[in-house]
Amino acid sequence: MKTIKLDKNPLKLVKDVLNDLKASPDLGIYKCVQCGMCASICPGASQTEYDPRDMIRRVLENDETIIDDETIWDCFSCYTCNSICPSGNNASEVNQILRQMSIEKGEGAQKIKDFCAYGDSFMEMGIGSIPNEFFNVMVKDVGNKYMDLKVNIEDIRTDLGLGNYILPKESTDEIEAILDNSGFKVRLEKIKRCKK
Amino acid sequence: MKTIPDKDILLFKSCLVNVEYPGVESSACYIFDKVGVEYYVDKRQSCCTGLGHYYDLFDQLSTTALAARNFHIAAKTNHKNIVTLCATCYAILKKTVKILNYNEDARNKVNTILDESGLPEMEYTQDDMDPSKNIFHIAEILFNKRDEISKYITVDLSEFKIATHHACHYCKVHYNDTIEGVREPNLMDGIVNAMGIDTIGWYDHKRVTCGAGFRQRFTNKEISLAVTSEKLEVLEDKNVEILLHMCPNCQMQFDRYQPYIEKKLGKKFNIFHLNITQYIALAMGADPYSVLGIQTHTVPIEPLLKRLKQKYDLKEDNRLKTLKSV
Repeated sequence: MKTIKLDKNPLKLVKDVLNDLKASPDLGIYKCVQCGMCASICPGASQTEYDPRDMIRRVLENDETIIDDETIWDCFSCYTCNSICPSGNNASEVNQILRQMSIEKGEGAQKIKDFCAYGDSFMEMGIGSIPNEFFNVMVKDVGNKYMDLKVNIEDIRTDLGLGNYILPKESTDEIEAILDNSGFKVRLEKIKRCKK
Repeated sequence: MKTIPDKDILLFKSCLVNVEYPGVESSACYIFDKVGVEYYVDKRQSCCTGLGHYYDLFDQLSTTALAARNFHIAAKTNHKNIVTLCATCYAILKKTVKILNYNEDARNKVNTILDESGLPEMEYTQDDMDPSKNIFHIAEILFNKRDEISKYITVDLSEFKIATHHACHYCKVHYNDTIEGVREPNLMDGIVNAMGIDTIGWYDHKRVTCGAGFRQRFTNKEISLAVTSEKLEVLEDKNVEILLHMCPNCQMQFDRYQPYIEKKLGKKFNIFHLNITQYIALAMGADPYSVLGIQTHTVPIEPLLKRLKQKYDLKEDNRLKTLKSV
């Protein structure tokens, strides 16, 4: 007799997405009618192989290979898909949740490793900053005046009547404690250790 | 129409305004002082984590715990109406308030984190903040005060062709709370119109992203700038001379990279980039250097100022001359 093996948990991925802390309570992924409005207006889709409609289909079909799919990293997080969806779905939010799943698995951690300096500066000053590697590219692209601006930023702010933007020590201590207890510090170190 | 406050405002500092276009903050203060908006800036307030959040580096729980700390500062100083200078701060804060209000488990976790950090006084109680009644973008405050603003206009800016770039994270994230249009945004057009000046209104690509895309600008520069270039070309076809911004990240993408894109495409765009706060402050007669902070711009604003009847002491090629150079 011919038997068909049914997936025991065919909605696992979509349920995991909906149970994520990032998922809004009104995230309408089940209502997706695959109309493609999201893909038609998506800057990522116009420039790369990223396809928000297909990403949603694969989540609904429990295709967990979407988590490892390189194309999810080409979303611009502009939420144009969210603003245009006739079904109340939010592909941008789903994308962010899939990226976190990829980071948890390890592969995604490699994708964000270069941004770790932002986390270090946040714990040090209470403000994130552009990681050095990317900053140097910006200086090359924008020109040396961009570097001059950075060197002189505190004097410029004084001329504008603005105070110091770096938080007082007692505040950065509070922030560091919060980020330690929230697990961010451990997360950051884990991401730093991942191999490229 | 939602109620927009003009007092008890915590003017929320933005990481990119701080170090890229600090003149956006000083211009905001200049306008608020003129039209009588009561606000406060707190040095203890931390960054919203926005860039780190969209680099996928920050997890949602950490972002929410830090937001609860900032909400405590706002409440304790009796400035519960948070007004952001950046669209991403606006969207991040709204989302964290929503999570803290509807998700009991997350709220308990955040409160445990605050307790363990020795900050039990910062614990969040459900509905301490209202996502629609306590979190605003500065463009909303300015729109609400547009008639008042129009009374203080002393510099004629009517000769320029103006377009607006409405930030995605204001319009499209919490779209039920967006005023003056989501798919056809007109929030900044409405402010400019009230000042007696026309904008070009709708244009193809009006709602399209600046192209920064958080990680994309750094890890996929070519595709990021391709999106920016397309928008610049549409604006050039319309002979736009000033593009108005309401988010420092968008302003950075256009202002810092316009000369780079011009070199790459072998053409000139001749588009000035100003934040809506800088534009209004300029029209009110504010000094371009000590209020607008145009010395931090990459596309020089001096050629725009030279065309005005108002005379300024322009510093042009030596904008940073008195300061250190590397």
